[in-house]
Amino acid sequence: MKKTLLLSSFVLAACSAPASFAEDSLVVVSWGGAYEDAQRTAILEPYAGQSGIVPSIMRHSGSLNELRDRAQAESWDVIDMQRDHAITACEQGWLLETDFRVVVSAYDGLQPEEDFVDGAFLDCSVVQNLYATVVAYDDRAYPGVKPSRINDFFDIENFPGKRALPKSPDAVLEWALLAIGVPAIQVYDLLSTDRGLRLAFRKLDEIRDSIIWWTDVSDAEKLLQDGRAAMASGFNGRFFSASHDRGAPISIVWDGRIIGYEVWAIYAKTDQEELAKEFVDFATSPAQLARLAEIIPYGPARNSAFLRIGKNSVSGTPMSDHLPNAPHHQGRAIFRDSEWYSKTASLRLRRFEDWLEGN
Amino acid sequence: MTHEGSALYRILALTAVALLVGTVASLAAIAFADTVFWLNNALLISPRMRVQFGGSPYIVLAATLLAPVVGGIIVGLLIQKFSAAKRPLGPPDVIYASQMRLPLPDARSGTVSTIAAAVSIGFGASVGQYGPMVYLGSLIGSAAIKLKLQIPSISAIAMACGVAAAISTAFNAPIAGLVFAHEVILRHYSLRAFAPVTVASATGYVMANVMFDRPPLFLVEFSGVENGYEFLLFALLGIVAALIAKIYMSAILRCSRLAANLPIAAWLRPGAAGLAVGVTALWLPDVIGIGKEALRFATIEGAFTPAELALLVPAKIVLTAVCLGFGFAGGAFSPSLLIGILSGALFWNLLDGFQLFENSGIAVYAVCGMMAVTSPVIGAPLTTILIVFELTRNYDLTVGAMVAVVFSNLVAYRIFGRSLFDVQLAARGIDLSEGRDHARLAAIRVADFATSEFPSALPHECANAALDRCSPGKWNEVYVADSNGKFRGIVYRNQQIVNSDALVSEIMQPADVVFREDTDVRQAMEKFVGFVGIAAPLLSSDDRLIGIVTEADVIRAYLDTVEELRDEENASA
Repeated sequence: MKKTLLLSSFVLAACSAPASFAEDSLVVVSWGGAYEDAQRTAILEPYAGQSGIVPSIMRHSGSLNELRDRAQAESWDVIDMQRDHAITACEQGWLLETDFRVVVSAYDGLQPEEDFVDGAFLDCSVVQNLYATVVAYDDRAYPGVKPSRINDFFDIENFPGKRALPKSPDAVLEWALLAIGVPAIQVYDLLSTDRGLRLAFRKLDEIRDSIIWWTDVSDAEKLLQDGRAAMASGFNGRFFSASHDRGAPISIVWDGRIIGYEVWAIYAKTDQEELAKEFVDFATSPAQLARLAEIIPYGPARNSAFLRIGKNSVSGTPMSDHLPNAPHHQGRAIFRDSEWYSKTASLRLRRFEDWLEGN
Repeated sequence: MTHEGSALYRILALTAVALLVGTVASLAAIAFADTVFWLNNALLISPRMRVQFGGSPYIVLAATLLAPVVGGIIVGLLIQKFSAAKRPLGPPDVIYASQMRLPLPDARSGTVSTIAAAVSIGFGASVGQYGPMVYLGSLIGSAAIKLKLQIPSISAIAMACGVAAAISTAFNAPIAGLVFAHEVILRHYSLRAFAPVTVASATGYVMANVMFDRPPLFLVEFSGVENGYEFLLFALLGIVAALIAKIYMSAILRCSRLAANLPIAAWLRPGAAGLAVGVTALWLPDVIGIGKEALRFATIEGAFTPAELALLVPAKIVLTAVCLGFGFAGGAFSPSLLIGILSGALFWNLLDGFQLFENSGIAVYAVCGMMAVTSPVIGAPLTTILIVFELTRNYDLTVGAMVAVVFSNLVAYRIFGRSLFDVQLAARGIDLSEGRDHARLAAIRVADFATSEFPSALPHECANAALDRCSPGKWNEVYVADSNGKFRGIVYRNQQIVNSDALVSEIMQPADVVFREDTDVRQAMEKFVGFVGIAAPLLSSDDRLIGIVTEADVIRAYLDTVEELRDEENASA
């Protein structure tokens, strides 16, 4: 019997829809916070309305250990995760191998391969949106000159204040090399060498004493809002929600943004394979991706969705401007190399832990 | 009217050739670079792939050791079994063909050489990719002769077009491509050549940028030289770089000679060099392949310690010399970039270590070193300066590098020669050091227009009888050879013959000027200075009289060549 878990905040009109609720239940795993809220409005509620199936939502923090340890016990079906993690999890056999080109429907007369971004279809997952890992700062901390380059994140002298970072080598190593002057296009090449890693950690040494580590992804905006950190690393969508929806004094430094890919994947031991595929098809339809982007600025992974993005229903902000891949953002952008990320995860983590211990 | 019409025809035809050759050469250069990139990834030569196999170190170890050895054996077999030239072809062959108005070596040897170069670089040998690309470009250009367009010097122009497009695409540097083709390959700046080469170079740029969106190769952040006296330091760095370039080029030449004398079969030599690369790379991973990561690190303060740099510079010099000398196919240009940039970084480290001067940081010294070592290797200061400009898109950096480059070229010219290419050609008997006119005159043997129809006599004949045999007015002298054919002297008609019964041997005189079978037009012209006769005897190595060469024929050959060169250099359309 499938365990269905409804979060208290998840109240749906569609709850009344007649459904063989127990058999056709679906567990969708996402990240919580503003992103999950947006997914409820843009995807889960319309899905329930259309299919009569009310998915239950579980939350994960993105760590692969959770997939390994919790998924079976909690009957996960569909997982919203980062592409590099999906590659690793697929190789471990934790995700269902399937051809998503067949799973998703075609729209606007475009075949899925033409419509989706390059590299969207992987063995166990399909890319749904693009997000950016960025540095944001507390406007109040810098009444004069504002940080504008990723170099400023490492410049304690001119831009004093605590730096909030996740306890992980992701993103910050790329930023360290960008700050040294390495062109974005060469960052991963250089991080592939021992010398490059040494240089990155040497740069990180410069802010060692000013770092506050965050563990939950929503901590980043809270730390800025509370004034406990002056700059923080986080995701562009959450920072947008904090500043535009809740009026927090937070601004994004677009220079050095690391554009990542968010995928949908299906758990290997799902007992709802067909339903899970139906859900992924629905969740990646242009209308749903556009709705999501109108609430939280994560760029849709398919062209047909771009043309459907309108204004934010609350603030009236034209949302295309705030997407990570919006053309008018100044500064350097790195496209995250998921394959490289996946294959170097343990090496980077080992070196990061060495650095934490002061070696 | 007909003259204008033919000029219009030439303009249209040359433009069409330039577009065609430019497009094909550019696509070929992209294909070459992509093949190398793919091989580097597949064989775990590139760090970005190696690091992803961090969990299985034995795979990386095996790739490091085996890839260059296997690559070497493939290259050795390719060159020895399938190439008629039996050696890799490169820029010297293009220069030779272009300067001497000769065709390139056969297309099959050229193609095999190109494939061998892609394998060499792809499998991690310490050789460069631009030399093979230059050859590939000229190979494509030379195919244009088949179109039979009836345009003077089309062959050299079309080759230059291919070269320009290849360089333009490879470096994403159209101006450098244009100038390289003129400075190194054509060595003149006629408008007839300049216009199509420009078109081809621009075509290469369009292909690289618009069609394929290739990024600039080497962006460097640099905000300007802070102190005026640093330009003196750049000049000093240029002089140091010249010495390093000289060591590098001499090492390459020496290794070629050494390899030829070793008791290793020719097809096995590249494999042996590959083994040296693999073993060295276990300790010094920066030496394997093209080393674009090391190139970048050299511009970052503290990426290398001075000791590491002092070790890497000689290691890269020796390995490149061994790879090229032992028969890997590839160029000397990319390795010289790396050797130069590491040298420049070392220079800055020493300078900064003593803290005698305030300075503008490592980047400008590294880039100055890079270009100052490279420039004497290709013998093209102007091209080098433009490459800095187009690669880095940084004006301040270019001005600094310019100073280092010219001082390096000045010194290297004195202590080595114009370029590695020219010295390699000189070793094959083609001396371009005194200009292309000298080289081209030196390539024409007077023996080619010797005549065997001349009055001759035996030593024991009666002199008057001998002179009577030749028709007065046409011949005023008789050439004397003994019964074995050995040349003995000349009897002149206007000689005072005292005794009418005198024998030829009694009155014959030695010749003022004597030519041999290998005498060329240039030497002949020098010998003819102060000469008053009509012709000079042509002798074999054992002094037999083969024929005579008239002064008029030598002068005509000389004038034809000079005029041909003048036409080529001043042609407008």
